[in-house]
Amino acid sequence: MKKICILFRSAPHGTTKGREALDLALLSASFEQEVSVVFIDEGVLHLLKDQQPELIGGKDYLATLKALPLYDIEAVFACKQSLGDYGLSHGLLSIPVTILNDEAISAHLKVVDEVLVF
Amino acid sequence: MMSKFIIQVNGPAYGSSASVNALRFTQATLQSGHDVVCVFFYQDGVYNSTDFNLPASDEYDVIMGWKQLAAQHQVSLVNCVSAALRRGIVSQLEAQENGLSHWNVESSFIMGGLGELVTGIESADRLICF
Repeated sequence: MKKICILFRSAPHGTTKGREALDLALLSASFEQEVSVVFIDEGVLHLLKDQQPELIGGKDYLATLKALPLYDIEAVFACKQSLGDYGLSHGLLSIPVTILNDEAISAHLKVVDEVLVF
Repeated sequence: MMSKFIIQVNGPAYGSSASVNALRFTQATLQSGHDVVCVFFYQDGVYNSTDFNLPASDEYDVIMGWKQLAAQHQVSLVNCVSAALRRGIVSQLEAQENGLSHWNVESSFIMGGLGELVTGIESADRLICF
């Protein structure tokens, strides 16, 4: 068992990075790894609720974020600075997240075994 | 001290330096006496497994580089099959299963799942992503 951190750094929909990051997060959890996910920079836009990606030919993979607890992924972090940069207050978020400042995110990245950036 | 690495390639054969950087790193790793569990191709990295890239004759062929490395060092080159199929990267088996008359992945590359990446990460000392 390893501590695997999946870092969402890119906005959803424009690329498939976020979708493939989420696939890997869920798969890693189903392989009994200790998975954490961090939303930072444009990646925090994954958390904005009520998005309709089908309207632009996308798949609503954001709905799958709600499945994180079912896969025992409890460590779901979002960068305080990035949320502020994109005007995302708590009421606009689709799932419960723990909001961390830069220092706390750095500290988290130091204690995990591997970090995969998407 | 010898270490065990797993290499993840997320960039395509053409249009990004990710693949060449990954290949150089993998070569250096092996030449230094370290172990490489496998090279795992995810996201646009699966474009490194197509046989249909035709670089100009004076250009470096990174796909050939991966094939030679795999043959020389018995390193597994593993595609994420679902990432591959979505991008038109198809081996003979998937071509047959889907009624296609063409395929572009030959036997140097294995069609595998993300599970192979995760078990590889588990057994390796360090994951390096490109």
